[in-house]
Amino acid sequence: MSIASEPALRPARRTASGSRDRGRARSPGATIAIYGGLLVFAIWILLPVWYLVVSSLITPTQLGVKPFPLIPTSITFDNYLSVLTGSTRNQVFGSTDAGSRLLPAIGQSFFIGAVLVVLDLILAGAAAYGLSRYPFRGARSFELAIIVTRVVPAIAIIGPFFVAFRIIGVLNTPFALIISYNVFTLPLAIMILKNYFDQLPREIEEAAKIDGASRLQTLWIIVVPIARPGLVAAGVLIFLEAWSEFFYALVLTNQLTVPPLLAGFQSVQQFNWNALAAATVMSILPPVVLVLLFQRHVIGALTAGIGK
Amino acid sequence: MTSPALSNELSRADQWFGFRLTVPAAVILIVLLALPTGLTILYSLHDVPANGASLGPFVGFENFSIVLSSPVFWRSATVTLLFSIGFVTLSTAIGLAMAILLNQKFIGRGLARALLIIPWATPWLVIGILWKWFADGSVGGLNAVLIALGITSDYHDFLADPNTALPVTILAAVWRQASFAGILLLAGLQTLPDELGEAAALDGAGVWQRFLHITLPWLRPALATVAVLNVIYAFLQFDVIFAMTQGGPGDATQVLSLLIYRQLFAVTQIGLGSALAVILGLVALVGGLITVKLLYRGHVQ
Repeated sequence: MSIASEPALRPARRTASGSRDRGRARSPGATIAIYGGLLVFAIWILLPVWYLVVSSLITPTQLGVKPFPLIPTSITFDNYLSVLTGSTRNQVFGSTDAGSRLLPAIGQSFFIGAVLVVLDLILAGAAAYGLSRYPFRGARSFELAIIVTRVVPAIAIIGPFFVAFRIIGVLNTPFALIISYNVFTLPLAIMILKNYFDQLPREIEEAAKIDGASRLQTLWIIVVPIARPGLVAAGVLIFLEAWSEFFYALVLTNQLTVPPLLAGFQSVQQFNWNALAAATVMSILPPVVLVLLFQRHVIGALTAGIGK
Repeated sequence: MTSPALSNELSRADQWFGFRLTVPAAVILIVLLALPTGLTILYSLHDVPANGASLGPFVGFENFSIVLSSPVFWRSATVTLLFSIGFVTLSTAIGLAMAILLNQKFIGRGLARALLIIPWATPWLVIGILWKWFADGSVGGLNAVLIALGITSDYHDFLADPNTALPVTILAAVWRQASFAGILLLAGLQTLPDELGEAAALDGAGVWQRFLHITLPWLRPALATVAVLNVIYAFLQFDVIFAMTQGGPGDATQVLSLLIYRQLFAVTQIGLGSALAVILGLVALVGGLITVKLLYRGHVQ
């Protein structure tokens, strides 16, 4: 099903790359320019990442050497071991317990992201389908309002959240973040899924209607399976935003998730850059791996409507 | 696809069905967004006590006049504007260059496009942490590279120097956002039919002319989207600067979002902080609208 819907999604791309594949002569100068440009591009992206990875694999003594050893002579996994176990040997952490808090924070980040993915796919999936197939009076205004929400600064609404959450007693719990993150994950999911449903062919749904299926049956039995690539893409993007969010987590919790914990590490004197680098590498891996795994769906959903 | 004509044809029952599907999400968004926004606007018009338990006495626009007559605000607004100009132009330009490069045919194109995704998938805060240490004055990799290239001769603490702190925070934020712009613009380029460029080449148009008269007009809608998003991200940036400098040294990188954070949570002047937040929200909205206007002007033909 999902394969059948692909050509309808990106017809222009097929023709463009098709004609490109036939090939045309390129001058040697252009070839040199392209590969030179690629070298600069690779350095631009990889140099900071390489610096991070090397920092996480060397000892504080090696780090102290000037200039920074971009190609280290020896590597160690001690930094990873210490942030995973909270071990204070090698005096990596001084007297803090910061290291032992990384794994619980990763667990909380996963939990919050997973709950939001399920919740928002149901809520946004229903809303986006309604907006796409059964536009009611005011549907268009609602869509515009959704876009405008992207401009509302988090800092402009955090005060009331803080007060309200203190009253109902959810400050410093995952629920504070599960509730508040809907402010940006829900509009994002609605926009992406609305776009996706708009591009799905309607013929099967119309056939189902003629066969006597109710609107809800059609949505559940016909549309949801066809829309799986779009749902996966929206899910990955929701998870990505939840995983990356820092500001609400800083204000509404006490370093509950990974980003505020990393920020906290920075202000601990004894906590050195080697250990922080190891923690940072681990915090980047889940979102990067997730996006690379579902690259085609995610980029497709993110860029739907661009270039039209 | 969903033209107004279509919605007129929908039966009442169908419209009611669509409405019911949308209501749960809409109610949640109103409660979570409209309500706090309204409250913040109310806060901005009151002298709110530090514990935030009540609104306190109504003071009209006094908070706004205090903010607008404060040199701290104007200094912070200037820093925000400088940050935004650097961030928007560099992100868009580098993103465009990367998109054009990765749209060429070469060996390892899939790998290069995967590389493009890494900065975008990295959390903003982590980018701040990474670049804070990368630019560090004693263990930083940036200094090592600059010395190896012979550009500088000694280690420089970029983030402690008021002259270089802001450019380096801009560079860090651009590193992420240029990738995002590149992803969106590359998608726009992929829909550009090769025939257009080939026909122009046969007519004797050079590389630069083809870029100016074919690629750029084709990318206009994608560029508009990218620019608007960049403007909004610029005005609302918090994470990168918080991780790198916390607004310092002095107030060299204290953008408005950081100033508001201090007002609300360090000195707990909720009324003033809320007035600042309302101003920032309006600036982001107006900035986005102006960008839309500028980029779509002349596009409607």
